[in-house]
Amino acid sequence: MEKKKEKFFDKMKSNEYYVRWLKNPFTYVTAAVLLSLFQIVTLAVTKNPWGVSGPFAIWGAWVFEAVGGSVDKWYYFASPGAQATLEGGLLNHPDSWRNFGIIAGALAATLLASGFKLKKIKSYKQVLAAVIGGTMMGYGARIAFGCNIGAFYSGIASLSLSGWVFAIGIFAGAVVGSKLLVKFFM
Amino acid sequence: MKEVMLDCFGEACPIPLVKAQNKIAELAIGDVLIVQIDHSCAMKNVPEWARKEGYNVEVEEVDDGEWEVLIEKTK
Repeated sequence: MEKKKEKFFDKMKSNEYYVRWLKNPFTYVTAAVLLSLFQIVTLAVTKNPWGVSGPFAIWGAWVFEAVGGSVDKWYYFASPGAQATLEGGLLNHPDSWRNFGIIAGALAATLLASGFKLKKIKSYKQVLAAVIGGTMMGYGARIAFGCNIGAFYSGIASLSLSGWVFAIGIFAGAVVGSKLLVKFFM
Repeated sequence: MKEVMLDCFGEACPIPLVKAQNKIAELAIGDVLIVQIDHSCAMKNVPEWARKEGYNVEVEEVDDGEWEVLIEKTK
C-alpha cells in the first residue's frame, strides 16, 4: 500500500498543472489582477478598503485592557466607531478576520507548494533589528492612518492624494532602510 | 572552474541578492557561484538578476522551502 501512495504524490509533484498553479510563483501581472479583484470584494463586503495595520492597534488595546488598562480616554480610541469596535470583541471584528484569512491563506499556499520552512534566527542583531523595525512600522502605520496596504495601495486606489504623498514617504524610508540593512548586515 | 558556496539561509531580502552581486565580482570566468536561499522572493529576484547579466542560471530545490541557485559566470 505504501508504494502506491508514494507514486501518486511523486506523479503529482511533476504534474504540469500542479507546478503551474500551486508550485511556481504567479507572474507579477497575475498577482496584481488577483489582488485587485479580491480588494474589490473586500470593499464591497465590508464597505471599507483593504487595510492591514488597523486591527493591530485594536488588538493592542484589547491586550492592554486584558491586563487592567483602559484606552477609553485616549484620543485614538475615543471616537464612537472605535468604541463600538472595542466593545464588539475579536470575533465580531471583520478587519481582524481578514488578517486571519491572510495568514491562513499564506500558510496554505506555502504548504501546497511544499515550501514550508521554519527559519532559524541567525544572530542577535537580527532580533534587535526586527523589534526596532517592527515598532517603527507599527508606530508609523498608525500615525499615517495606514500602512503600505491601507495608506498606499488603498489610498491610491481610492484616488486620494494622500496615497501618493504616502508613497513618496515610504519610498524614501525604504531607501534609508536598505542602506542601513546593507551597512549592518553584510 | 571552482564552485563557491554562498550561504544566505535566514537572510532577509535584498541581502542574498546584494551578497551574490558582490561575490560574483570576485570570481573568475567559468566559476560557479552556488547561492543557498530559503526566501521565496530571493528565489525570484536572484535568478532574474543573474539572467539579465547574461550568466547561466539553474535553480534546484534541495528541500522544502530551500533552494540552491547555481550561477555560472560566463563573461
